[in-house]
Amino acid sequence: MEQHKSRLVYTIGMLTLFLSGAVFFLIGFFPASYSMAEDPGTVPGGRPTTLHGVELTPPPPAYGSFILFLVDALRDDFPDATSMPVAHSRACEKLTLHVDIPTVTMPRLKSITTGTLSNFIDIALNVGHTEQLQDSLLHRLNQRNKVVSFAGDHTWVKLFPSEFTRHADNHDSFYVNDFYEGDRNVTTTLESELELSDWSLLILHYLGLDHIGHVEGNASPRVPLKLKEMDEAVQKILDHKNFPNYFLMLTGDHGMADGGGHGGNTPAETLVPLYLYSNNCSKATSGTKRYNQIDLAPTLSVLLSVEIPTPSIGCLIPEMLQTLPLEHQMYAYFYNAHHLLNKARVKFGHDRVHRSDYYTWYQNATLLHKKLLQDSGGGASQVYQVQAKLNYMRVAREISGLLSESLVKFDYGFIALGLALTTATSLHIVISVLYLDLTEQLQLDSLKAGQFLVSAVAAVLLNVTSHALDIILTSSMLQSVLLTIPIAIAVYLTIDVAQALLKIALPPLYTRRLRISIPLPIPLLVCFAIRTLTLGSSSFIEFEYKTWYYLGNTLILLTAFRTLRRRITKTNVELDGRHLYTVASTCLWQMRKVFVMLMLLTLMRYIHRLQAIRSTIMIFSLLLLWARLHRHSQLPQSVASGAALCMVYCFRGLNGQVHFFEMPPYMAAKLMVPTLVVFWCCLALVLVLGYRAALPQTQRFADEPPTVALLQLLQTNLTSSLLLAALLQKVPNILLLPMLLVALQQTYKLCDVFGTSARKFSVRLVHVYKIIMTIFLARMFFFFQGNSNSLSTIDLTPGYIGQTSYNPAVVGLFVTLNTFGAEIHAFLYLVVHTLRSDLRSVGIMQLQPPYSIAADSLIAPLYAALVMLPAAFYLCLMVGFRYHLFIYSVFSPKVLYDCYTVLVFYLVFLVTSLYFKLFKHDA
Amino acid sequence: MVSRFDQQKTKHQLFHVSLSLATILICMTYMQYRRNWAHLGSFWDSLVVPIVFLGELLKVVLARFYGRVEDGVLTVKQRQKKAAYFTPRELLGGFTLQFLCTLLYAFICIILGAPVLGNYEQTFVLALLMTLLTVSPTVFLLGGGGALQVCFCEKPDFVTKCEDTALNLFKYNALGGILGAWAGSVVAPLDWGRDWQAYPIPNVIGALLGSALGNIYACTHVLYATARVYMTKKRT
Repeated sequence: MEQHKSRLVYTIGMLTLFLSGAVFFLIGFFPASYSMAEDPGTVPGGRPTTLHGVELTPPPPAYGSFILFLVDALRDDFPDATSMPVAHSRACEKLTLHVDIPTVTMPRLKSITTGTLSNFIDIALNVGHTEQLQDSLLHRLNQRNKVVSFAGDHTWVKLFPSEFTRHADNHDSFYVNDFYEGDRNVTTTLESELELSDWSLLILHYLGLDHIGHVEGNASPRVPLKLKEMDEAVQKILDHKNFPNYFLMLTGDHGMADGGGHGGNTPAETLVPLYLYSNNCSKATSGTKRYNQIDLAPTLSVLLSVEIPTPSIGCLIPEMLQTLPLEHQMYAYFYNAHHLLNKARVKFGHDRVHRSDYYTWYQNATLLHKKLLQDSGGGASQVYQVQAKLNYMRVAREISGLLSESLVKFDYGFIALGLALTTATSLHIVISVLYLDLTEQLQLDSLKAGQFLVSAVAAVLLNVTSHALDIILTSSMLQSVLLTIPIAIAVYLTIDVAQALLKIALPPLYTRRLRISIPLPIPLLVCFAIRTLTLGSSSFIEFEYKTWYYLGNTLILLTAFRTLRRRITKTNVELDGRHLYTVASTCLWQMRKVFVMLMLLTLMRYIHRLQAIRSTIMIFSLLLLWARLHRHSQLPQSVASGAALCMVYCFRGLNGQVHFFEMPPYMAAKLMVPTLVVFWCCLALVLVLGYRAALPQTQRFADEPPTVALLQLLQTNLTSSLLLAALLQKVPNILLLPMLLVALQQTYKLCDVFGTSARKFSVRLVHVYKIIMTIFLARMFFFFQGNSNSLSTIDLTPGYIGQTSYNPAVVGLFVTLNTFGAEIHAFLYLVVHTLRSDLRSVGIMQLQPPYSIAADSLIAPLYAALVMLPAAFYLCLMVGFRYHLFIYSVFSPKVLYDCYTVLVFYLVFLVTSLYFKLFKHDA
Repeated sequence: MVSRFDQQKTKHQLFHVSLSLATILICMTYMQYRRNWAHLGSFWDSLVVPIVFLGELLKVVLARFYGRVEDGVLTVKQRQKKAAYFTPRELLGGFTLQFLCTLLYAFICIILGAPVLGNYEQTFVLALLMTLLTVSPTVFLLGGGGALQVCFCEKPDFVTKCEDTALNLFKYNALGGILGAWAGSVVAPLDWGRDWQAYPIPNVIGALLGSALGNIYACTHVLYATARVYMTKKRT
C-alpha cells in the first residue's frame, strides 16, 4: 500500500523550502537598503554660492530656536477648537501633510529627517531592528555643532545614536499600556529645556495618543483628555518668556485609523495636521493646503541654514518661509530646485534632463532670479519675483514626483530565485498529492542522488553566470557561495516538476493512463479557483472578506442541499411518491441544526455591533465553549478548563469590560495579577492532566491502541490553545471560538454523507470536502474577527495582557495566536476529528482504510498544497503588478499576510507532526 | 430517437426556447426603456417579475397545446393527474410550495450577504424572480405534489412525453438562472462606483442573462441533434 506511507517529512520539507523561497522573494521585492544603493558622493553637496556669475550668500537661520512637537498618531481631525483650544486659536498656519505608506513610526521619522520616501519593508523592521541613517537633517546640524535636544520615543535614539546633544527617551516605546508616564517625562524634559534655551532644535515626541488608540480605539474617552494635555504642553512653550524668536511646529508622524490602529492607506491614517507658530506671524490664509511629509526636511534645512540632506526629494512649503525677507526666500527656492536638479541629473543622466521641460523652467527661473538680484527695487521686480518663484516651485514639484516614482528598485535575481522556489515547491506538492502513481514512478517524495548532483552542477554554473552578469548582487563572498544551495534545490524541484508535467501532458504510450488519485468535486474546484483568481484585483483584495463569506456560505449551502436531496430521495425510494410532503418536511427538520448554524454565521458578520449586550454574550460564549470542551475530556480536565474560563470572565470584569462586582479601582488593579496567575495555573493543570496519557508508566492506556494517546495529546493541545485564545480575544469575539467548533462539526457531519461506500475513492472524497471546508471556514472566521488585509487592523492589545514591559517574543506569540487563532484551531480540530472518527469506526467497517493514516498521508499534504498554491500564485502576480499604482498600499500588505499565514501553518504543522512521530507507534 | 424539424417534439422545443428568449428580450427592452435601473429591486415599480411570470405561463400553455395530441394515449395515472389539476387541494399545494421556495431563496440571499432586515423588498423581489425562473414552471405544469415528485423521485410515471420535454427545458432555464444570479455578485466589491452595482440589480440581470444563456445552450442542443439527423439522412 504505497499511498499509506507517511508523508509528513516530505510535507515539512516542502513547506520549509516554500518559506525560504518566500523570504528570498521578499528580500528581492523590498530591498532593505535601496536608498544606500545610490552613492551619496555623486550628488554635489554644499550650498550654491553663485548664480550665473552673481555672488550669493546663504542666509543665516531664520529663527533663534526651533521646536518640533510631534504627537504620535495625531490625525487630521483631532485638533480643533474644542479639543485643543490654545493650539488651534494661536496657530499662524494650519496645513495638512500627506504621509506616505507604511504609516508606522520608524519609516515616518526617516521621512521627516531625510526627506525621502521609505521602503515598504520598514514596517516589519519597525518593531525590532533599526539601521542607522547616513545622512539627515540631524547629521547636518551636528556637523555645524548646533545643539539639538530630544525627548520622547526611543526610536529616534536608535536612528540617531550620536546626533543628539542631549536626549531623554522613553525606555519602553512599545509597551502600549503606558498612557501617561512617558508623556509626563517628556513634559518634564520640556520644562527643563525651556529654562536652558541653548538649543537650536528641540524635538518632542509624545507617544500617549498612539497607545490609547491601540488599546481603546479612536473614540476612547481618553483621547480628548490626552489632546488637552498636549494643548497644555503647547501653551507652555507659547507662553514662555525666554523665547523672543521661536518657531514651533505641531504635527503627527502618522494618523490613526477608525479602529485605533495604523499602518494602512486610508485618509485617516495618511493625513496629519501641521500647525505652525511663531512670534511675528500674520494670521493669513484660512483654507487648508496640503503638502507632503517629505517636504519638511528641505524646508527645515533652509530655515535652519544647513545643507539639504542628500537623499531629500521634497519641495519647500511656502507657508513656512513667509516671514523671511524676499531675498532669502528666493535663495531657498533656488537652492532646493538646484538640489533636486542635481539629483535628477545623477538619476536620469544629463541628456535627458537637458531635454526636459523642467530644465527650461529652471533656466527661466534662474534668469529671472539673476535680474532680480541685479536691479533691486522697481515695479518690474515684483513681477520677476513672482514668476521666478512659481517656476522654481514648478521645477521642484515635477522633479520630486519623478524621483519618488523612480525610487523603487527590484532585485530581480532574488525575485527570480524566490519565485522559482515557491512555484516549484507548490506545484511539486500538488502533483504528488494528485497523482500517486506518478509520485511512485518518479519517486517525487524521496531524494535522488544523481539528479541532485546534476542540479548542483547546474546551480554552480547559474550562480557564477548570474554573478558575472550582475543579476545577483550580494555583499559578501560567503553569501554568494551559500546562494548555490537554494539555486540547486530550485533546479532539482524544477526538473521534477517538468518531468511530471511532461508525463501528464504527453499521451500515454507504453504505460497505462495516469489517473488523478483523489476526487476533485467541481463546486469545490470552482470556488477555490475563484478565490485564487480574485487575488488579481485590488478591490477584491481590499474586500477579501466578501469573497470568503460568499464562497464559504455557497459551499455550505450546496453541501447542505445535496445532503438534503440525497436523504429525501433515499427515504422516498420505497414509498414511491406517497407522503412526499411529510418526508420532505421531516428531512428538513433533521437538518435544522445546519440552518441554525448558517443563520449564526450570518450573525457573526455583525458581531462587532453587539457591544451593548457583551456581558451576556460573553457568559453565553464561555458556557458554550466549556460545553464543547467538556464533550471530549475527562472530568478533572473539564473542571480545570471551566475554572480557567471563569478566570477569563473575572479578568474582563476587573478590566471593566463586562459587568462584575462593584469594587474600587485600586482593588481591581490588585486583583488583576492573582486572577491571571490562577488562569495560568488552570491552563497548566489542563495540560498536565492531558499529558499524563503520554507518560510511559501510566498503565491506563497500555491495552489501548497508541492512537488513543495521540488523540488525547492533540485534544489537550487544542483545548489549551482555545483557553488561551479565550483570554486573548476581544470580548465580543470570544463567541467566535465555540462557533468555529460548532460550524466545523456541523459541516463535517454534512460531508460525511458523501462517503456512501467504504471504497477508497469515496472515503477520499469525504476528506477532500472536509479539508476544503475547513480552509474556507477558517478564513471566514479570520475575517469575522475583524481582521483584514490592511496592516492597521492587527490588534496589538492582546500582546500585553498580563505583561508589564515589552517582550517581543511574548507579544509576537500572543498577537499571532489572537490574529490567526481561527486558522490554527481549525487545522488542529480537523486533525483531531479525523483521528477520532477513525477510532469510532474501528470494528464497524474493517474494510475502510484507517483515517489515522489518512491524517498524515492525505490531509497533511493536501492541506499544505492548498495553502501554498494560492500564495505562490499571488507572488507571481506581485511581479506582474510591480508597477501598479496600489502595489504598496494594497498588494504588499497582502503579501506579508500571505507569507505569514504560511509560516503560522508551518509552525502548527511542525508541532502536530512532531506528535505524530513521537506517539504513533502503530504496527 | 430521431428528431426532425417537422416533428412535434422538435417544434415544441424550438417554440419553447424562443418563448424564453423572447421573454428575456422583452425584459431587456423594458430595462432599456426605463434607463434608470434603480427601480429593478422594487416590487410595485418594476415590470420584470410580471413579464417573466407571463412568459412562464405561456410556456406551460404551449406544453398543454402540444400535449393535446397525446390525450388519447394516456395511462390511468396520467389521466387521474390531469383531472386533479384544478382541484383546490392541488392549487393550494402549488401555491404553498412556491411561497416556501420564495422564503428559501430569500434565506439564501441573506446567508450569502444580503442585508438582513434592510432592503427586504429587494430581497423579496429577487427571491420571487428566482422562484419564477426555477420552481414555478414545474409547479404550473404538474401541480405542487407533482413538482416535488419530479424533484425527488427517479422518474414518476404520471409525466407524459410532452411534459417531459418541457421539464427538460425548464431544467436549463433554472440552472442558468441560479448560476447567473450567483455570478452576478461578482461586481459587488469592485470600486467602479456605478449605481447599477447596488444590490440586487446585478443579481436580477445575472439571473435573466443566465437563463438566456441556458436557453441558448438548450437551443444549440436541439439544433445539433436535428442537424445530425438531417446530415445522416442526406448521406444515405
